[in-house]
Parts: sequence; structure tokens; C-alpha cells
Amino acid sequence: MFSKFKLGLIAFLTVGLLAACTTESPTSNGDDETDASGDDGEVHIGLAVSTQNNPFFVTLREGAEDKAEELGVEITVVDAQDDAATQLSSIEDLVQQDVDVLVVNPTDSEAVITAVETANEADIPVVTVDRSADGGEVVAHIASDNVAGGEMAGDFIAEQLGGEGNVVELEGIPGSSAARERGEGFHNSVDAQDGINVVAQQPADFDRAEGLTVMENIIQSGEEFDAVFAHNDEMALGAVRALESAGMDDVIVVGFDATDDAVEAVEAGEMDATIAQQPIVIGEQGIETALSIAEGESVEDFIPVDLELVTQ
Amino acid sequence: MRGQSLGQVMQKLGPVLGLLAIVIVLSIMSPQFLSLDNLLTMLRQVTIIALLAFGMTFVILTGGIDLSVGSTLALAGALTAGMMASGLDPILAVLLGVLAGAVMGAFNGVVIAKGKVAPFIATLATMTIFRGLTLVYTDGRPVTGFTDSQAFDLIGRGYLFGIPIPVIIMFVIFFILLLILKKTVFGRHVYAIGGNEEASILSGIKVNRVKIGVYSLTGALAALAGIILTSRLGSASPNAGFTYELDAIAAVVLGGTSLAGGRGWIFGTLIGALIIGVLNNGLNLLGVSSNYQQIVKGAVILLAVLLDRQKSS
Amino acid sequence: MSHQTLIEMKGISKSFVGNKVLNEVDFEVRAGEVHALLGENGAGKSTLMKILTGIYSRDEGEVFVKGEPVHFQSTKESEESGIAVIHQELNIIPYLTVMENMFLGREIKYGKTGFLNTKKMIQLTKDYLGQLGVEIDPLVTAGNLSVGQQQMVEIAKALSVNAELIVMDEPTAALTDREIERLFEVIEKLREQGVGIVYISHRMEEIFKICNRVSVLRDGEYIGTRVIGEVEYDELISMLVGRELGTLFPERNVEIGDVRLQVEGLTSDVFRDINFEVRQGEILGVAGLMGAGRSEIMQALFGYREIESGNIYIDGKQVKIKKPLDAIKSGIGFVTEDRKEEGLVLSMSVRENFTLPNLNDMSNQTVISNKKENEFVEGKIGQFNVKTSGMEQEVKSLSGGNQQKIVIGKWLGINPKILILDEPTRGVDVGAKKEIYQIMNELTAQGVSIIMISSELPEVLGMSDRILVIHEGQIGGELNRDEADQEKIMYAATGGE
Repeated sequence: MFSKFKLGLIAFLTVGLLAACTTESPTSNGDDETDASGDDGEVHIGLAVSTQNNPFFVTLREGAEDKAEELGVEITVVDAQDDAATQLSSIEDLVQQDVDVLVVNPTDSEAVITAVETANEADIPVVTVDRSADGGEVVAHIASDNVAGGEMAGDFIAEQLGGEGNVVELEGIPGSSAARERGEGFHNSVDAQDGINVVAQQPADFDRAEGLTVMENIIQSGEEFDAVFAHNDEMALGAVRALESAGMDDVIVVGFDATDDAVEAVEAGEMDATIAQQPIVIGEQGIETALSIAEGESVEDFIPVDLELVTQ
Repeated sequence: MRGQSLGQVMQKLGPVLGLLAIVIVLSIMSPQFLSLDNLLTMLRQVTIIALLAFGMTFVILTGGIDLSVGSTLALAGALTAGMMASGLDPILAVLLGVLAGAVMGAFNGVVIAKGKVAPFIATLATMTIFRGLTLVYTDGRPVTGFTDSQAFDLIGRGYLFGIPIPVIIMFVIFFILLLILKKTVFGRHVYAIGGNEEASILSGIKVNRVKIGVYSLTGALAALAGIILTSRLGSASPNAGFTYELDAIAAVVLGGTSLAGGRGWIFGTLIGALIIGVLNNGLNLLGVSSNYQQIVKGAVILLAVLLDRQKSS
Repeated sequence: MSHQTLIEMKGISKSFVGNKVLNEVDFEVRAGEVHALLGENGAGKSTLMKILTGIYSRDEGEVFVKGEPVHFQSTKESEESGIAVIHQELNIIPYLTVMENMFLGREIKYGKTGFLNTKKMIQLTKDYLGQLGVEIDPLVTAGNLSVGQQQMVEIAKALSVNAELIVMDEPTAALTDREIERLFEVIEKLREQGVGIVYISHRMEEIFKICNRVSVLRDGEYIGTRVIGEVEYDELISMLVGRELGTLFPERNVEIGDVRLQVEGLTSDVFRDINFEVRQGEILGVAGLMGAGRSEIMQALFGYREIESGNIYIDGKQVKIKKPLDAIKSGIGFVTEDRKEEGLVLSMSVRENFTLPNLNDMSNQTVISNKKENEFVEGKIGQFNVKTSGMEQEVKSLSGGNQQKIVIGKWLGINPKILILDEPTRGVDVGAKKEIYQIMNELTAQGVSIIMISSELPEVLGMSDRILVIHEGQIGGELNRDEADQEKIMYAATGGE
């Protein structure tokens, strides 16, 4: 009898505990909303960048910071060091600070959802820049039109090769929207042309060292090719090093982002072209959009930023 | 005699005083820091490193080290996510994920205990192997598409009576491990092996078995950390937990456990993990640039170890 | 003797945190003299030497070197005044050669170039070793030398810095008998060269053999100085312990029972065909030269060393022992020779060390019972008269004798049938020695069989019921208590040459 009673008690407590579980944050009531934006009159924007190990995002951050200063907006920048968990933690910290608008440059479109939801629960509007989020409520997304950029690169390579040749594609971090969209645009262009074949397609994670290694391996494999398209400049510059050491200077290399290094390389003739994203403009747009939201104006849900082809 | 025991008390109190000092400074500088909401947020952020560091404490107490915990976290997280994505019951998937972590840890333990490979080398190798397995299993892409399970969401994102569930998990595990170290034969043997392995063998302690047990425990805890992280993020990234082993080791050292083995306590590790968590959270609240944050964190670790030296000499 | 006084220490006092460890101690060494410094552990010998060499500063008193008052601030200063110390733990870097060790930190170079003058250093190394009458290749790696040879290197190193006073701290503790002979010859040579030697040792017979004078310290007090040859053994002992110690060895009148352990044809790579038996309540002494294989046989018996063949029977039943745990389960306890490396966990408390092999009895196999553990440990501390501030004190800070009592005591928890003691009184002061002998006597009275390896012949003769002599991995002889004497043991130990 006694043990049955005990068992029943345990079962009751367990059920009780489970019933008490919730994914609702106990402090995420809408009340904060009014004091959130109203405490000192000045607008406070939180900017969460994915990494500062990549010049592109450094430029983006600088664009945002300069714009914020110009507009007289307070800005707090946190860096995720390319780790989704770190990004989540630092966004939670920004939410704790009661920022008025959150501008996020996600490390990973899927993993950022929790962070976006955290901000949503605290009624902080979210703007994504460069990479998008696959869930949560995002007011606006600001990015280069990556698909158009990819097409631009494909068209340029086809033109340089006279419509005939083999191409290697160095892909970005698998699953990132930039890799997806740039790849999509690129294939839109080259797959439509019978003379152009993509002979190798490998991820090098947007990283210069990785780009070098992957390119070396492809060269080692003995594959014949005439051009390389890399989803960003870092990988393209890595590839240039590999091609130089192999004495393959005539291979056409096209990058993406137009970082300072890449533009120099194009001017020096080491790279043939890069697609200029305008990270400064993306950063500026992010802050401008965030300010508009804070001031209650309505904004477009996708704000494309123009790209341009940089050649010698 | 009295002076000596006072010194020992100071040695134990050191990490706590350090944490208090940091908390006081941060709460003066940032008004939000001491809010209940922020403290809970900070605690939730600490859980991942704390769980890794708890296991690491056991390993370091035996005189070993485990560099593979970050990779174990990633692989176990990905496996659990993958199992759920293919339709397995979430609770079963979590149990299997933890078991997988224990198996990875046991592999470390067998290589170290039976194969007589130095722990640093053995786990350096498995760190790469487990990371590689994760990349193979995930094809380098984050594993997603399992987020419809309410039960699984609770693990990382849930609350019980207003306290985040990961924090509850962390404290429950902390108390269990505290009891294991203080009260059980296994815990005593962990200290003995780290203090003097020869004497332990000659006293009839099953040294190999204890070591395998310790690494398995660490693997299981790393897997649990990976599962919590996966639940929080709603996706299992193949590069999750990268370099987390270093944060875990730092937490153990900040807590006053000796890297030579045989001396230390898990309460110190909890404090060490909190110091790291409080610094991360507080420096973000203060808007300190992440580049400077790394310098501050490194300096705090150095300072702690130097003060420790000063006290013991 | 017209020899000049090398050092003189007068009225030295020293306190640590209000605890007076030296009280007005006088000490004097002349050139060409071997002066023994005798005292139990904790009597203040090492503190006195540390004050002499400048590691500690004195609170009161004066130190003179050749009549000049000095106040050394560091060992470097004392070395410059010609004082060298040969520590018990040798200062040899095992991966460097003998020559490199000799000149470590003061290498001879070609002018100021930074290039080593190896040729000269090799020659000098040979010279200094030659002065001691020792032949060691200067280019051999120091780690490959025996402990005795390494010690010779250290002494040669002391000579090379023109040391006039050499302090030797327990120099024979780790040496074989042959190496001890060698060391004594070297000490004799040094004495002839006018070097003064402070000789710290627990081994009374050595002091009588090679020292000129002996000074005794007890509890930080200076008790007196005697000339060897004019002092009786018993007088020194009573100076040392402050009371009449009585006979060191207790009377053996334990009734010896049936055969407890029988070893048959035990063979490994270092010993072969070992046969012996031990009876209930018996103490079997195991004598032999260092390196004869005594410890190795016992390690094999305990499952800590592989055997090629042989059988072990306990109470008539064959037992398989493959690892220490098997031996423990069969009721064997093993007090190893090196208590710090193999016996104790130094970072743990008295309590934790006492219960290490028998935690299962202190627990329900998983969770330790504080009550059972505390009762056991308190009982053992009382039974063995362990001098400790409490059961939570770290064993590291206990004296050698008290540490040894814990190593023996921890095996009583398994209720051993057989206890193997390897050099049970090494590095233990006379008072604790006597206590350990009494413990052994009591244990055998309770029916425990004891196997005692010892290099101290008086101990072997004083405690054993029967003596097994090992010679080069084989049994060289077996002697009964009443027929055994030092000559017969040495005769068997050296193969009856």
C-alpha cells in the first residue's frame, strides 16, 4: 500500500512538474515595450555581426557605426566569432540592454531563429543584414542581390572564355544564404550556355586558407579548367595563391565582395574580376532602416543593395 | 597550524571572491546587470561551458585532459538532431545522443587506460576524428527540420517556475557530481589516481576502470551540452562547440583545480564557469568590443592563476 | 688535532610563526673532520643546515666561517664561501651528460664567445672524479648511472667549486652496500684532503664507523657533542630520544602456527626458482644485497610484476595473482619500499590514505559511510600512535615515521593474512622505529604472517623468526633465528665466496 502511495506521489509530482514546463519566458510580457524605446529619447540600436575575422563584415560594421554617429543614434556592436551559440548569447545580452531595434547579421540562417524569437518576445523589432533568418519575425532584410551578382559573375566568365571552357566553383559555407544565392545566380548564367561546364564544385567555407587548400587539391586532381568562380574574395585570393604556385596564371579568377585585398588583386592583374557588394551601404542601410522602424515609419521587407562588377 | 588552515580556506575562497569582485564592478557599471532577468539569461548561457567543465574537472582530477569535448558536443548534437529529423521519438533520441557521447568518451578512456596513450595526444586525435565524423554525418550542413517537438524544445528553451530548464539541468547535475566526488568510492578513487597512480594500483584500485568511467562521464556530459545547444538553436551546426574545450579547461583552472591532478573541487569549477559567463555577459552589456573582450578574458585567467601561485608559495 | 675550525654556529635560534624550532644551538666543524649531526625527524637538523647555507635567516646567534662572522642571504653566497650541500634528492639532470651536469650554469667557454670549451670541461671532470678515486666516463648520460655514481658526480661537483665544507644529508639512504663502501672510501679521501663534512644520518652504525664527532639535537635544543670512541651506543640513543629507550626490538615469543603461504618455483626475468613458506604468526626476514631481486620477488607475489612460472598457495589452496587487486582479495598487504611514490597519495588526508584499499568495507560499495570511515581511522590513529593534528591533515606534512605507520595501518583494514614490508623503517627515526617493531609484534600475535625485506642487518636479526637470504635472483640460504648472525647472512648474500 505504502509503496503504491509513494509511486502515486512520484507520478503526481512528475506530471505536475512537466505541466509546469513552458517555453514562454516568464519575463517576456509586453509591458517592457513602452519603456523600451522611451527611457532617454535617444534611439539605441544593437548590431550583432557574425564575425570580425573577415574584412567584409568589418567594413559593414564601420559603415553602420559611421552612419549611427551621423544620425546621432546610440549603437552597441557584438561579435559572434562565427559561432551560433555565441551569437545567441550576445543577442540575449542586447535584449537585456533593452535596445530599440536589433540589427542582425546571422552566422547561420537556421540557428539564428532562436535569437530572433528572443528579440520578438521582448518586442524588439529585428532587421537582418547580408544573411537572412529562416524564421522568427523579421521586419526587414537588407542584402545585396546575390542572385543577380552570381549571374553577373557567370556572364563575365562566359564572355572572357568566349562561351567555351571549364569552370571550378568554390562554394561558401553550405547552407548560408549567400552561398545558396550566389551559386544559384552563377548556375542560372553558366548552365544556360552549352559551352561552359562546371567541372568541380567544392565548399571552402568563405575562408582564404580553406580556398587555398581546396584549390590545391583540385589542381592536384589533374582536372583541366580555365576559370574559377569563388563565392567570396577570401576564397578567390586563396585560389590565386594556389594557381600561382602551380604556374597557372592564365586561369580566370572571379571573386565576390570586392574587399580591399581583392580590388588590389584585380588592379594587379592577379584576379580578373570581383563583384562589388557594398558592405558600407549595407551597414548604412541597416542603421537607416532601423531608425525608421524606431520612429514608427513603415519599411520594405526586402531592401536590395546594388552590386557592381569590378574589373581592371 | 591555524595560519595554515586559514591559508587553505583563502585558497578555496579565492575563486568566489574573484567572482564577487567582478559582479560588484559590473553591477556598478551596468544597471541591467543585476536584474533577475539578466542573471537568468547569464546562467542559461553558462550551462554549456559548465557541463563541459564539470566533466573536465573529473578528467583533470585523474591527471588527464580531454580536448575532444567540443567535438563530442557537435557530433552528439548532430546525431540527436538527425535521429529526430528521421522521425525518432525525441526522448529516445536524446537518450541515444547522451549514450553516443558516453561511447565516444569511453573510446577516449580505453585508448588512454588500456592503450597507455597520453591523454593530451589521445584526445587531440579524437577531437579531430569526432569533428570529422560530424562533418561526414552532416555533410557540412547544419541539421534542421526537427523543431516541431515540444518536448525537445523544452530542453534548451523551456522554463520551470520561471527558471530556464538548462539552468535546472546544470544545477541538478552539479549536485549529483558533487555527491559523487565527495561521497562515493568512485569519487575517492578519482582523487587517488590523480594524486598517485602507482599507489592507487598498489592499493587495489581498478585504475583503468575508473579512468574509462571518467572519460565516459565527460563524453555523456558533453553530449548533453550538445543536445541543449541544439535545442536552443533549433539546429545542429557541424562546427558547434569549436574551441569550447579551452573555455572548459579555463573554467576548471579558474576554479582552483590543479592541472597536475589529485587536487580540486567541482564547486570551484562552477564558480570558474560563472566567472567566464559573467565576463561574457557583462562585457556585452557594457558594449565592450569583442576584440577587447578576448584580451580581458585572457588577462583574468592569467591573473587568477598568478594569484593562486602567490598564495600557495 | 691542529685542524682549524671551518665553521662555528653559536646560540642559533629560529622560530616559525611563533613556533620555536631551534633554541640556542651550538655547532662546530673542523677541517678534516666528519661530524655527525644526529636527531630525530623534526629535531631541527635541516633547519640548522638551511640557516648555515643561507636558505633561512636566523633570529638569534652568530655564524663564523674560518673565524669571520657571516650572514648569508642565499645559497649562492654560502657556496662562494666554500659550503656545498649534497641533498638526499640529488640535483642531477638525467638527460644531460656527467660533464654537462658538473658544469651546469658555470660552463667553461672560449673567452667570451659563447662556444663551449668541451675539451677542458671533460678533462676537469675526469680530474675531479679521479681525486675521489672514481672512474666515470664524463660523456655518459647521468640518468644511466646508478644512484651511488650520481652521488659521486655531485661530490665531485662540490670539489670543483672548491668546497671546504660538504653537508651530506642521508647520503646512504638509496645506496647499495657496495656503493656505501665506496662512499666511505671517498669520505676518507676528502677528510685527508682537509675537507670538513657534516654527516646527517639515522644509521647509527655508520656514524660509529666513519665519524669523528657527533652532535645531537632534540626538539630544537642542542643536547651535546661527543667524540666517537669515547661514547657508548646507549648513551647516544638516550641523548637522542631523551629517555632510556630500552631494547629496540621487542621480545619475540609469538606462537607460530601452520603454513600460511607457500611459494613454489616462482620465476621471472630477474629471479628464478624461488621456493619458500611463511607460517601463521611468523616474521620471515628477507636479506640480501641491493639489486639481488628481493623487492622484485615480493612485487611478483603481489601481482605487480609478471612471472613466467610458479605457484602460490595460501592456507593450502592455490591462488592466481595477476594484479594487486587479486593479491589484496587473497589477504595480502604490501608496504612498498618507496612510501612517497608507491605507498601514499601525498595530496590526500590521513583519513583518505588510511581507507584507500578498503573503501568497500567503509561503504555500501558505492556511497562511503562517514561514520564507518571516521571510526576506522580514529581507531587506527590511536592504535598506531600517529602524531597528527587530526585525520584531515595532509599526509605530506607528516614525519617519515608517521607516514610509515599510515602505510602499514591502511593494510589492516583488509584484515590481512600476510603483510609484506619492504624496508619498513627506512628514513624513520629511532622512536618511530621501535613503535613499528612493536606493531609488527602485535600483528603476528594476532596470527598475521609478515615478510620483511630489510637492508639493515640488526633489524633482520632482531625481528625475524627465520631469515631468507637472496643472492642474484636465487635463494642463497635460509637461517633460523638462533643460528643467524651478520657473518652468516653476508656469506649467503655474497654467494658464499
